[in-house]
Amino acid sequence: MIAFTDIVGMDLAKQALMLLAVDSELGGVVIPSAVGSGKSTLARAFADILPESTPFVELPLNVTEDRLIGGVDLEATLATGLRVVQHGVLSKAHGGVLYVDSLSLLDSSAVSHVMDAMSRGEVLVEREGLSEVHPAKFMLVGTYDPTDGEVRMGLLDRIGIIVPFTAQNDYRARKKIVKMVMGTRDAEDTRDELNMLAGFINAAKEQLPHVSITDDQIRALIQTAISLGVEGNRVDIFTVRAAIASAALAQRSDVDEEDMKQAIKLVLIPRATRMPEKEAESNEAPPQEEMPPEEPEAEDEEAPSDTPDAEAEEEQKETPDMIEELMMEAIEMELPDNILNISLASKKKATTGSRGEALNNKRGRFVRSQPGEMRSGKVALIPTLISAAPWQETRRRDSKMAGRPKTALLITKDDVKIKRFRDKSGTLFIFMVDASGSMALNRMRQAKGAVASLLQNAYVHRDQVALISFRGKQAQVLLPPSQSVDRAKRELDVLPTGGGTPLASALYLGWETAKQARTKGITQVMFVLITDGRGNIGLQATFDPTAEKATKEELEKEVEALSLSIQADGVAAIVIDTQMNYLSRGEAPKLAQKLGGRYFYLPNAKAEQIVEAAMSF
Amino acid sequence: MSSQAEVSTKRPIMTQTEPVAKKTAAKKPVAAKAKAVSEAKAVKPSAKKRSGQAFPFTAIVGQEEMKLSLILNIIDSRIGGVLVMGHRGTGKSTTVRALAEVLPFIERVAGDTYNRTVEQYIEGEEDKKGSKAIDPATLKVEQIPVPVVDLPLGATEDRVCGTIDIEQALTSGVKAFEPGLLAQANRGFLYIDEVNLLDDHLVDVLLDVAASGRNVVEREGISIRHPARFVLVGSGNPEEGELRPQLLDRFGLHARIITILDIEKRVAIVKLRREFDDDPDAFMHKYNKEQLKLQKKIQTAKDLLPQVTMTDEVLTDIAKLCMNLGIDGHRGELTITRTAHAHAAYKGETVVTMQHVKEIAGLCLRHRLRKDPLETLDAGEKIDRELAKILGEAEAV
Repeated sequence: MIAFTDIVGMDLAKQALMLLAVDSELGGVVIPSAVGSGKSTLARAFADILPESTPFVELPLNVTEDRLIGGVDLEATLATGLRVVQHGVLSKAHGGVLYVDSLSLLDSSAVSHVMDAMSRGEVLVEREGLSEVHPAKFMLVGTYDPTDGEVRMGLLDRIGIIVPFTAQNDYRARKKIVKMVMGTRDAEDTRDELNMLAGFINAAKEQLPHVSITDDQIRALIQTAISLGVEGNRVDIFTVRAAIASAALAQRSDVDEEDMKQAIKLVLIPRATRMPEKEAESNEAPPQEEMPPEEPEAEDEEAPSDTPDAEAEEEQKETPDMIEELMMEAIEMELPDNILNISLASKKKATTGSRGEALNNKRGRFVRSQPGEMRSGKVALIPTLISAAPWQETRRRDSKMAGRPKTALLITKDDVKIKRFRDKSGTLFIFMVDASGSMALNRMRQAKGAVASLLQNAYVHRDQVALISFRGKQAQVLLPPSQSVDRAKRELDVLPTGGGTPLASALYLGWETAKQARTKGITQVMFVLITDGRGNIGLQATFDPTAEKATKEELEKEVEALSLSIQADGVAAIVIDTQMNYLSRGEAPKLAQKLGGRYFYLPNAKAEQIVEAAMSF
Repeated sequence: MSSQAEVSTKRPIMTQTEPVAKKTAAKKPVAAKAKAVSEAKAVKPSAKKRSGQAFPFTAIVGQEEMKLSLILNIIDSRIGGVLVMGHRGTGKSTTVRALAEVLPFIERVAGDTYNRTVEQYIEGEEDKKGSKAIDPATLKVEQIPVPVVDLPLGATEDRVCGTIDIEQALTSGVKAFEPGLLAQANRGFLYIDEVNLLDDHLVDVLLDVAASGRNVVEREGISIRHPARFVLVGSGNPEEGELRPQLLDRFGLHARIITILDIEKRVAIVKLRREFDDDPDAFMHKYNKEQLKLQKKIQTAKDLLPQVTMTDEVLTDIAKLCMNLGIDGHRGELTITRTAHAHAAYKGETVVTMQHVKEIAGLCLRHRLRKDPLETLDAGEKIDRELAKILGEAEAV
């Protein structure tokens, strides 16, 4: 076991955990990090800096509902004839840490229960004849690899600190880590260091109630939250708490600039959905691969959709200049290189609607049991026994009176519980909308309509929809696989148009999305391409802005190679042509052919027809 | 009251009075249960008691739409509940949970798990085969605050609807019915957080009960029906998933909630929250007066409600509004009418005007508009536009 103090690198993550150790009301720490970066080692070592005997409970990914929430302990109940309650994992973590490795892979119903427990500080057990409340106030520490997908936003909202994602690429630190893992350090050194750290944290805890924060400082933090487009008001409270905890760690009684920067870095920036005005202008570094140059405008267009920006800007002027500058500095300093990536990453952190996972009686992972016909699914033995147990006494009596032979166990069909499995079924429709300059606006409207009605249908059919737009230099996932009509509509409403047509990039990104969805159990994927099929930006340009312009042949080759691979991978496709008839040179039909998909000519097709076409596949 | 431990014979005798006797107070099934458990020397007795104190309703900053919707539903429980959808971390569940503190009192038969009034109690009990007539004079009544029952996502059907009392069955072989959450919620509020994530199976149960106002449990010798009329309150974040259309339709009002952007309000929220966390008791004390004032205002409105009237002109305008918006069925008109009455009463007025209607029309109709995928106009704007047309007409005449 590697001690907290022995872990090299990941300073931000360490600071985050220390803040949490000082103020457990921060809710938790989430550490996104690549495989092998030592994130789970660090998370487990967190116990080192907590008071002794603090519970540290690991939540297994395959946890069932009754293990999570708690329920009747069958064995003890049958043995004693009394109802014996078994506490769930959530309440076992009470007063301590609930640790989840690969948080983004946690089943969405489990996520809901964790969220619920976090917002109540307790677990309501209303199951199998039990009605109890178990205390469940815990700190959630979660680690995950962002390539596995993102953590649900609702859950992140209840966790105070999100460590900004940084790929561990400092080779010196890596080398040290390797050494650390290979050899062991002097045990005495480690113990001393740990003791010292524990002392620090204890002192900080004592200091905590004595730290004060000024109204101007609170205002500045909130202003930053607003200008970063952070949703909700709960985060404000976390930000202020983090700043105070940071001051307490430094044994100060006032919050200072550093504390505020720390809070912004660990609480606000990872949740940013847009960059503040100033930032967009001052960012002179060549735009990162993620964003086409026109993007800052696009961001502007996006804002009014649900956040009256004018109001925010007006308020901005009122904030003391000094503090505002400080905030800007914090943002600039901390994230000079990957700022755009991060804001984009948070956008991608959309929810995978839980309805995408259908409960069924046959396949998937067993999550809960419910009354049902024995023939309609797999019998859940233990729940059946639990439900039969209480009746034994009366049934035995009845059966004796009826003169039936004595049997050990009397089970009737009312007792039978069948297993409910959670399975991400349904089809994933990946809409790839060409938003380049060549798309006439009215076509856009039709395309939007089609996506929206497909989403409505998707709800009924338990399908999911992802949305990719392509324009400028590259394609972009606007909406990861989801079922939220609201969200898709919002994304579509603000979809900017103009620029080149990076068709290959769209295909590539779609394919990646499809592959990721498959690891999450989605079996069927269908591309719905809404385009004129005239790609003019190569893949090369997507990754390297300075690359030479690809020739027409190269472009065609790229698209062809990708299309064939996608087809070979079993992804279905339809291509909806948006080209005016007299201009068409038949690119879209060709694309459909290469993808092995069907072709539709949009000017003739209405939204409903597109939906029909897609659904009938 | 009948004796509680009736020994089952060939046909097990079930009476609804059993649980009543067993649980002296439905609001605190907890205490009763904890007692039962400890008497039986079970391994882990655990009391059903809320550990934390709820943040006071009157200290909640902003989110007026949600607060008004909840209050109107207290004033008239027939409005049909409220669905609160909106951004994360905007105080949805905090507000609903704070509601309990400002609710008025209702009268019920002392200790009745189903919170029934004397009349309902007698009706229910006399309905049963072989029951004797009950003399109302023998029944004690008590005042309890309107119950607020939390339905967690992980609840199983048997706990929601009620099931056999496991302990009694195990120990004495008696088939006693143990009422579930629906029984506790009778005449009160049933709250479901993350309602859009609720298991389809439970949604079916809820739809059934909400439509009939009764809960029916039939199982092997148990046949129980009891009233289950409650105000359904749901909250959730639309980004996490859609609500089943049938369930959406059940909600009388639909409040939307978004992140507050006013910086001063947000500073106030943070400061209040910090104050509360530091010393909840002192904080509650500070708001005590406000809380009592609101509670009284709600009670006054409730008392005033029967006297509130509406002219035919206003009713015509409401009907026109619903027609112009192409709303199917009559639930739209009905909800607006009831809500406008409650709203007028809350304002201490006895005549419903179009101004009242205007203030609540969005809440009542927002979720009833037909969804048009090509529509870019927000539902609220559409309602406002139609309202303006009708009001313009009304004024021009």
